[in-house]
Amino acid sequence: MAEKVYKGTGISNGKVSGKIRIFKSGGQAARGIYRGKAQELRRLDNARALALEQIRALEKKALATLGEKEAQIFEIHAMLVEDEDFMGSVIEEINGGKCAEEAVEITARGYGEMLGSLGDEYLAERKTDIMDISNQLIRILQGGVSQNEGEMDEKYILVALDLTPSQTVQLDADKILGFVTAEGTPSSHTAILARAMGIPALVGVGTVDGLNDGDFALLNAEKGVLVACPSEKEIKEFEKEKSAFNKIAKEHEMYLRSVMNKPAVTRGGHRVMIYANIGSEGEVSPALSNGAEGIGLLRSEFLYLSRDTYPTEEELFSSYKEIAVKMQGKRVIIRTLDVGADKQIPYFNLPREENPALGYRAIRVCLDREDVFKAQLRAILRASVFGHVAIMLPMVISLDEIEKSKELLEECKRELLTQGQSFDSKIEVGIMIETPAAALMSHSLAKEVDFFSVGTNDLTQYTIAVDRQNPNVAHLCEKNTEPVMRLIKMSSEAIHQEGGWIGVCGEMAADLSLTQQLVNMGVDELSVSVPYLLGVRGKVSECR
Amino acid sequence: MKEFRHIIKDKNGLHARPAGMLATLARSFESDIKVEAGGKAADGKRLLSLMSLGARYETELKFTISGSDEELALRALTEHCRTKLNGE
Repeated sequence: MAEKVYKGTGISNGKVSGKIRIFKSGGQAARGIYRGKAQELRRLDNARALALEQIRALEKKALATLGEKEAQIFEIHAMLVEDEDFMGSVIEEINGGKCAEEAVEITARGYGEMLGSLGDEYLAERKTDIMDISNQLIRILQGGVSQNEGEMDEKYILVALDLTPSQTVQLDADKILGFVTAEGTPSSHTAILARAMGIPALVGVGTVDGLNDGDFALLNAEKGVLVACPSEKEIKEFEKEKSAFNKIAKEHEMYLRSVMNKPAVTRGGHRVMIYANIGSEGEVSPALSNGAEGIGLLRSEFLYLSRDTYPTEEELFSSYKEIAVKMQGKRVIIRTLDVGADKQIPYFNLPREENPALGYRAIRVCLDREDVFKAQLRAILRASVFGHVAIMLPMVISLDEIEKSKELLEECKRELLTQGQSFDSKIEVGIMIETPAAALMSHSLAKEVDFFSVGTNDLTQYTIAVDRQNPNVAHLCEKNTEPVMRLIKMSSEAIHQEGGWIGVCGEMAADLSLTQQLVNMGVDELSVSVPYLLGVRGKVSECR
Repeated sequence: MKEFRHIIKDKNGLHARPAGMLATLARSFESDIKVEAGGKAADGKRLLSLMSLGARYETELKFTISGSDEELALRALTEHCRTKLNGE
């Protein structure tokens, strides 16, 4: 087999070798490369014909085994695949420059929302039918089998067009040696995930065509290269480099581990708390074993993903409690739900938006959906007696939002009191500084909260008007850190004046070239994903 | 042009399955078949269009049939509504 070379941006320096596994979308986000209108329409036509065949086969099977009534649903599916309105809209999307997969997905979501808006209890059934055929079409378009078929026993290098957050959470992390994605930038979800898991990845390789399930490949994240079907000689050289690399990495890690349990203090005497960003219970132990002094950002979305209905207060409570207990009195900052924008959860039925980053998300959604928000606040309050728990509100732009959230929090406290439930009555409340508005208003916001935590990813995006998912402009973020630094400085001064403290939990916190600057501005806490904990701790103690 | 009205007695309303059956039947005629409910109009031969009416239990459907086989279509559709959309 001929050798194939793919180049992209390497994430988390490392080298791995193993077999490739192509990730087939379960239909969540179907993105692909636009091959031109005529070809997309032809692909759609073929997929439609094949889908009809499959549906007819299923119908026959259902008729034989289940009976006429059950088989009828496939008749509906067949009609949907042939429906003029449905297909008309798909074709319109293709004419508008979308690839067939995406056109199907957009249309399905649009109809799903429309049917949902009718407020009928049977909407669930209707929506499922539409999602079903949409998934089926997308699967055919991507030439794939369903996700769960052909599980591999050995570890593999996962190859995908791109991964959505909900897809990434469903992956079996123990099986993955590395990631390769056609799309994505160093700040895309796949990259963030790869960093969080400490495994090498390659993003933005352009195309993954030509890679097949089971191909042996060498992934060199340092050089940003993937070699599929390499020669014997190349494999030998690679393995040699790999073990040399691993040896150096191991030595460095041993040194860092030896200082792991000492507080991180700069040479100038400034104490910095080193906290971990986590997105699930499973990351608590690794965080602790890498010296985390607390959880600086618990992304609470994980309890809402991969399911069809809202989690109950009990479910939320038991998970928060478990984390609080495991952290043994170390601070756990739970960021309340940040849904919307690029983090969609189907059952929230959030409308599709032209400009989601500036749209209906995070605290904006929570303040509207009091029942959802209050269930979370109550769960956090109840968990607070099992450790040191703090609340953090995302995407704040005004005092008003803090006041409203605190009112709801007080309401929850009163309810819990009357029910005889205990909680930490002095629970800390903080906000994310991730909008320029919050930084500019930090003097008044600081009076209302105990702490700030700077979400540098969004703050950068909103400050310098760069979409970090857009490969054409993403690089502008890397060079242009000064505007964001000024906003951090402003916020730091404001909160310190009120006797509070400030942390940084975005990607910048893990960027060792910025540590000195952050320390200079008086940042009290750096919260990073687990693999960065040791490195950041080491860097702080080298700072002036 | 023929018209008739039917009040949905199926407590599930005009959901996917009955809408599908209705559309299948409507397609067997040449006539144009318009279905109106709650101020919205749908093409009786199109499933999604019918589903979009969101017609529930006890909603009145107004059928307007026009074309060469309208008489035949009227009879068949009336019969269909009587037997299939009556909440058996």
